[in-house]
Amino acid sequence: MIHTTKIEEPKDNIIEENKQAPKRNFSGLTLLPIVLSVVCVLFTVMMAGYVLWFYQGGYQEETAGGTYDRYYIMITQEGKSAFWQSVYQGAYERALEENVYVDWLGSEQMQGYSVEEQMEIAIASGVDGIIVTAGESETLRELIDRAAESAIPVVTLYGDSTQSARCSFVGVGAYNLGREYGRQALKIMKERLTDVTERPIRVTLLVNSYANSLDQNIIYSGIQETIEQERGEAAVEISLQAVDDTNAFSVEESVRDIFLGDSVPDILICLNELNTTCAYQAVVDYNKVGAVSILGQYTSDTILNAIDRNVIYATVNIDTPQMGGFCIDALQEYHDLGYTSQYFTADISLISRENVDEYLRREEPESDE
Amino acid sequence: MNKLRNLSLQVKISSIYIVTNLLVVMVNIFLIIGINSMSGRLDMVYQGNRHLNNFSDAVEALQSSMTDYLNVKTSASLENYYRSETLCRNMAADLNEEVTGRSFDRMERNIRHMSEHYLEEVAQTVEAKRGRNVEKYRFHYENATRMYGYIDTYISNLNMEQFRSNSERYSELQQRFRLFEAVSVIAIVLVMCSNVWIIISFVGAVIRPMKKLAGQADEVAKGNFAIELLPVESQDEVGVVTGAFNSMVVSIGRYVERIRESMEAERALKERELLMEGHLKDARLKYLQAQINPHFLFNTLNAGAQLSMMEGADRTYEYIQKVAQFYRYNMKKSEETVTVAEEVEMVDSYIYILNVRFAGDIHYEKHIDESLLSVEMPGMILQPIVENCVNHGIREMGDRGVICLSLYEKEGMVCISVKDNGVGMSEETIGKVLSGTYREEDMAAGGNGVGMDNVISRMKLFTGNENVMTIKSGGEGKGTEVCLFLTKFMEEKTEVEHEPL
Repeated sequence: MIHTTKIEEPKDNIIEENKQAPKRNFSGLTLLPIVLSVVCVLFTVMMAGYVLWFYQGGYQEETAGGTYDRYYIMITQEGKSAFWQSVYQGAYERALEENVYVDWLGSEQMQGYSVEEQMEIAIASGVDGIIVTAGESETLRELIDRAAESAIPVVTLYGDSTQSARCSFVGVGAYNLGREYGRQALKIMKERLTDVTERPIRVTLLVNSYANSLDQNIIYSGIQETIEQERGEAAVEISLQAVDDTNAFSVEESVRDIFLGDSVPDILICLNELNTTCAYQAVVDYNKVGAVSILGQYTSDTILNAIDRNVIYATVNIDTPQMGGFCIDALQEYHDLGYTSQYFTADISLISRENVDEYLRREEPESDE
Repeated sequence: MNKLRNLSLQVKISSIYIVTNLLVVMVNIFLIIGINSMSGRLDMVYQGNRHLNNFSDAVEALQSSMTDYLNVKTSASLENYYRSETLCRNMAADLNEEVTGRSFDRMERNIRHMSEHYLEEVAQTVEAKRGRNVEKYRFHYENATRMYGYIDTYISNLNMEQFRSNSERYSELQQRFRLFEAVSVIAIVLVMCSNVWIIISFVGAVIRPMKKLAGQADEVAKGNFAIELLPVESQDEVGVVTGAFNSMVVSIGRYVERIRESMEAERALKERELLMEGHLKDARLKYLQAQINPHFLFNTLNAGAQLSMMEGADRTYEYIQKVAQFYRYNMKKSEETVTVAEEVEMVDSYIYILNVRFAGDIHYEKHIDESLLSVEMPGMILQPIVENCVNHGIREMGDRGVICLSLYEKEGMVCISVKDNGVGMSEETIGKVLSGTYREEDMAAGGNGVGMDNVISRMKLFTGNENVMTIKSGGEGKGTEVCLFLTKFMEEKTEVEHEPL
């Protein structure tokens, strides 16, 4: 009996310990799955949110851009040439400043359409202004008049349609340009052609058959007058050579034809970038370097390099961005005031071997664009 | 948290499956939403082209209906013309009119304006035709046809441009779709992995106490009750079973312990009895060895006593009678529990015999507390002690030897003291005697064969105490005192102890 009472005591203690046991805390192992599931749910929600946001955001981006007050269209005969691209760039940048948008129809969508057809489209499109490289053709004059009737102001660019109802003309001083060409031709004669005595020195001016505008004639007379005045004893034969620019690629063929003929000119004067480049290539191809001196226009990389290599004697650079800017200015002025200046003249500069390095350096960073 | 822990097993396991399934369902819902929005977007990609084509068809229908009317001038063709014209006008009105940075918008604007122009020309053509103004309608027809050509080209261009851009957009969408696909796969795999993880760890957490319980049950089955008690982690079924198991283990352990202890007590008792029996047997053997003489002596002594009575020698008779009494007591009482009175009487007889034998050399003194004479004690205890006193203590002292027997009560114990004034004992000898290692030839000394170790053992067994005897001596020649200690109420105790046996 004594023993039993002794054993009785620890029993209560053990049961007490048992009751204490459940107060153990949650261990990390039990919490981990809960945390993991929460993370998983959050990840899923975030992913879903990301996907939806991504799409809404992506869609928003597409409908960007504000609206413009006016809409002008620029129409040129040649597309894609660096000269016209530079003009368009000038116009485009100037237009943006005025919250106006300029589209260049010749550039992409409407290739294959003639200037007249593009004019018609522009008129039918009800634009706020048209910039067109005109010429003295009757159809173009009629179209310009029709545009004017529809209250669409037209600015002629580079080539004028003097008889039309265009509101302004933006170009270069054609007579001055002609005199500059004449002076350069005389320089060539003095430098390179002193030994040509048995025959007259042949100076040929390449003119575009389509854009047979007054300007070309003015340039021609400028050249003629300058050479007549200062040629001295030398016999000089100045001729006009028409280049077929009505079809695509025809210019290049026409220029090559000159070199296949009997009388290859001593001095070849080109009035646009395309003609200059074609003439340069033809001189190289027909091995006439040194025999034929080219006076070109515009400052593309090719032309500048050709001057550097002494194939092209000199080139006349027209401030093309300025020309584009003038077009916009003229149209804006006409819209705002109802009238504008009849003529805008872009600056010109001459590039020859003496100063070509300066331009080459300037072109380099731009050529990257 | 504790509430969660206390849920039943069924609820726990069910909720694990519900949670994991919910996760999967959620992920799937998001994926479905994503796929839906994407396929919707894909559907929208070429919508611009479709609109444009519809418009192109409408313009074409107008042109042909006009041409048809010009050709045949039937009312059906006129009706056709009006229907186409209305459709075309409505569709043109839906086209964009704003000038924006997007070329599409500007082209659309141009198409709208040209269409208006065209509709006007067409209307004038039809009007002139109705008025039969041939020249006029031809002029307007040509204008309209040219305009139609422009519109057509414009639409084609715009269509192409849009298609190109849409195709780019489509491939971009496709790339996003791929991305979404990859993200979906990752999400599904992640969810699957986490689900597996959740199930494994949750089920593990639920099963773990069960496993522990099984392990502990196994231990108990092997007979190991000294296991660590499992903590009751929850109040579910497993918790309840664990609690019950713990209580069971505790009570089984307790019962086993109790049984073991009572068995041990029993075993100790038996052991004591056996030991006592062993010692008695040992003593009895020694007596048997010595009994041949006492029996013969007893009979012859009785004959001697009768002879001396017949001859009238009273002192001789008394002597022989005492000797005979001594041997009888020796024979009878050595195996029994006797009273202190009987033992004292025995000592008296022994001293008388010795005194006759040695001509009254031994002086014998008694100080007896009469009330203690009835106390019980083992037989043949005092006589061997007195014998030792005589043989070793005072044998050589002649008539100066004194033996003093005292019976008194001290601190609740009954004390029997046998004191002599003999040669005394060294501490070493006392130690040896008390520890039972002292040996001598009892028989050779002429004793009755009962040694001190036997006396001490029997006293210990009888009283159940270790401290039953003390021997004190003042040193060489200063006498010895042997004290025995008995429990006063030994009578009752022995009854209790002997009861279970």
